[in-house]
Amino acid sequence: MTDITKPLPGQERYVAPLDETPLRAVDNVDETAPATSMWADAWRTLRKNPLFIISGILILFIVFVALFPGVFTKNDPNYCNLDNYLDGSRPGHPFGFDAQGCDIYSRVVYGTRTSLSVGILTTVIVVAVGTLIGAIAGFFGGWVDAVLSRIVDIFMAIPMLLGAIVVLQMFRTVTSLWKVVLVLALFGWVSTARIARGAVLSSKNLEFNTASTALGSTPMRNLFRHILPNSLAPIIVIATTSLGSYIVSEATLSFLGIGLPSTTVSWGGDISNAQSILRTNPMVLFYPSVALAITVLAFIMMGDAVKDALDPKSRTA
Amino acid sequence: MGKYLLRRILQMIPVVLGTTLLVYALVFALPGDPVKAMFGDKPINEAVAAQIRAEYNLDKPFFVQYLIFLKNAFTLNFGQTFAGQPVISEIGRAFPVTIKLALMAFVFEAIFGCVFGVISGLKKGKWYDSVILIVSLLLISVPTFVTGFLGQYFLGVKWRILPVTAGADPGFLDLLMPAMVLGSVSMAYIIRLARSEVSSNVALDYVRTARAKGMTNGAVTFRHILRNSMIPVVTYLGQDLGALMGGAMITERIFNIHGIGNLTYQSILKGEANMVVSIVTLLTLVFVVCNLLVDMLYAALDPRIRYA
Repeated sequence: MTDITKPLPGQERYVAPLDETPLRAVDNVDETAPATSMWADAWRTLRKNPLFIISGILILFIVFVALFPGVFTKNDPNYCNLDNYLDGSRPGHPFGFDAQGCDIYSRVVYGTRTSLSVGILTTVIVVAVGTLIGAIAGFFGGWVDAVLSRIVDIFMAIPMLLGAIVVLQMFRTVTSLWKVVLVLALFGWVSTARIARGAVLSSKNLEFNTASTALGSTPMRNLFRHILPNSLAPIIVIATTSLGSYIVSEATLSFLGIGLPSTTVSWGGDISNAQSILRTNPMVLFYPSVALAITVLAFIMMGDAVKDALDPKSRTA
Repeated sequence: MGKYLLRRILQMIPVVLGTTLLVYALVFALPGDPVKAMFGDKPINEAVAAQIRAEYNLDKPFFVQYLIFLKNAFTLNFGQTFAGQPVISEIGRAFPVTIKLALMAFVFEAIFGCVFGVISGLKKGKWYDSVILIVSLLLISVPTFVTGFLGQYFLGVKWRILPVTAGADPGFLDLLMPAMVLGSVSMAYIIRLARSEVSSNVALDYVRTARAKGMTNGAVTFRHILRNSMIPVVTYLGQDLGALMGGAMITERIFNIHGIGNLTYQSILKGEANMVVSIVTLLTLVFVVCNLLVDMLYAALDPRIRYA
């Protein structure tokens, strides 16, 4: 091998520095190593990404708090005593009390479950519905695609918050958490459908499909065995990234007083209740906001890490 | 180009029709009888109620009501609110405020988003790149209403730099903080987008060629790197202008701004079908027109794209 750092004839004006000559990396590839799948490669990239490690630990912690809030606090979030009106912190109540005399710390702890449930349930529904509709549109094409794409356009044009408020207004009396989940999913599936459609379209005409068809496989088998598995990466990326945004949407709707009922402990509702005393007691608003921000941050960082691993073209480092 | 434009405008029609139909159906299904609500605590006079129902076409089936709405909308007659005000004049009063707010937020996010994103992308790995990246991540994670309260508390109450709320007929200074809050999340997204675009373009062959032929650093940056990096940014900005108007609801509530967002929220709570559908129609139009403008802009930015 010639020394590639030596200037070649005609290269007097510009010589690419060493780090711009990626050919060396290609030369260093160990050809005897067994071939890895895309998923194994993605997992290897993920494991080395500090963003993934930090967000992974955070998410594990948040899930643990949501599953076992009793480990972190012995206080009942719904036990409120007006005698404690806006009291400061004291032993057993590290964050003090809010305007109703409820223990802020236990409300922050118990609010985790609400936010996380809404985020995860919405994401699951959105991925299922969006992938199905997007895959049908991309796979069948023709008038099916035209009709489904127009429906997607229509939902895209309605501002999510506006649509969600109109629908939630219809179900004011329903107190279930599912109300918010279904409404967020109703306006959230379109972006996943669009991405699933694009992914299916681009892998539909690849060689492995033609080969599979030539070997006698049916279109349905092609769709489920070859096209969908090859379209999963962008869907997983958007699912991880949007989980955080559903949590924000739930908090926003509860903040507007139209999401979850006030009997459900939720960060958005608590922030909404604290806004009137912002000028005198900003800390009441501060704690649930920080909890909300950390949770969303964890999922956004995870989304970034997953995107880096699954979409090599977007790899930044 | 003309043919493409015509096709796009024709494609807009089913989207606008479908959106209004969907929203009309949703608002139609809202519980509660607005006529009953008008009487308040007083006993309902059936004759008067029937007259009001006939006047507002509330006695007709859903689809007929929708068609009447559409027919009137074409002549910019959006009907009246239940309080007797013409919808169009209510919207006319609120819309300029929201446009002002949205445009200020748009300018804010475009300028700061691009500047910080490009700096960050050009100087990847420097300490200020990390700071910009962390701040943008934080802005995305913190919901708008929390950003709004933080701004109110620090800029308004504690340091007294900017007014805490805007109120009726707000001026530039009144809207400055709301606009920054409204644009903050999009700004963070633009920073991230511009950063990744710029940093991936810096290493491309044509940039190397430009440097090799002796172009100055500034010229390479502006003529080659920036122009190529701006295409996705412009797409995002165009779609965001429409979204800003719809998203102003939270900001307008926090800062007590009498704009479209506040008007929509109140109308939904009161079940003012005419008002809600009119506003959504308008916002949808803004949204699709913005998307069309973005596609037109593509051709100007990227010579490879030419619409036949």
